[in-house]
Amino acid sequence: MSEMNEDMRGPSLVRDDALTNELRAIVAPPTAPGYWDGLEARIIARLERGREEGRWWVLSERAYRFGMIAAGLVLIVAGSVWLRSRAVETRMAYESVIETPGSDLPMFARRNALDDRSATLRAATGH
Amino acid sequence: MTAIALPWAATPRPFVTERPADERGLVLAAQRGEREAFSELVRRHQRRAYVVARAIVINHEDAEDAVQEAFLHAYRAIDRFLPDQAFGAWLHRIVANAALDVTRRRKVRDADELPETVASPFRDPAESSELRSRLKGALETLPARQRAVIVLHDVEGFKHAEIGRMLDIPEGTARSDLHYARSHLRKVLGEVRSGL
Repeated sequence: MSEMNEDMRGPSLVRDDALTNELRAIVAPPTAPGYWDGLEARIIARLERGREEGRWWVLSERAYRFGMIAAGLVLIVAGSVWLRSRAVETRMAYESVIETPGSDLPMFARRNALDDRSATLRAATGH
Repeated sequence: MTAIALPWAATPRPFVTERPADERGLVLAAQRGEREAFSELVRRHQRRAYVVARAIVINHEDAEDAVQEAFLHAYRAIDRFLPDQAFGAWLHRIVANAALDVTRRRKVRDADELPETVASPFRDPAESSELRSRLKGALETLPARQRAVIVLHDVEGFKHAEIGRMLDIPEGTARSDLHYARSHLRKVLGEVRSGL
């Protein structure tokens, strides 16, 4: 009722029965016998088609998941192989640095500073 | 399955939110994947869904298309629907969105194609008189939202708040849309009457 009062505020906000009746006739739902049964059948048929499409999507989704798992496994294997080969390369490089120059170069030993000091002391004291 | 008398079949009546006692059960069964339960929901709601769609789209064929799209969407989204809510209100929003999509597609299509007459088995009652024909033309020139608001409010008895929820617009916008739509159509109606 309050809505009717609001509608009565201005002339263009009042519901016009003649206009409403014409509109009702324009947008009237079909009244043909069997129409609604037919529409229901078309809706259900469309749902069935949608369900088939849905199955296809479910299948493709499964394939997608399987593909992702397979790709993940491949990445893990490839990663571990790469890490392993990298470790081997690092070790070989380290060994080559340690071993190659070490065998050929002459060895130098630093003289002990304490020995020099005691020799100087002995020379100074005459012992 | 026995036929169910649709309460709004005889005369248009205001939208009410109460539901049949077993509708929640039907929704739950449909969520479990029972086809017949969803078919029953289609049977119960298709006519009202058509009315909502017809308020938004220009013609009968588009309304049918929107209704079918909407039920397909509802079927796919039924798992996300909360059974304690009103199925009709939820469905009407889906229908409104589907109808607005159809309207947008039609606009694009009409802009691309030359107008042509398509024979339809459905005989539109709007063709029966000059006045109605002119009014139908005027209705088609209204923006889809204004057209929807005046039909849903004046013809189908929906309240502004319900229309707002359905079309995802503020209640005040629904009111102003109704005002403009009424003004426009009343002007056309007056012109036709004075010319007849």
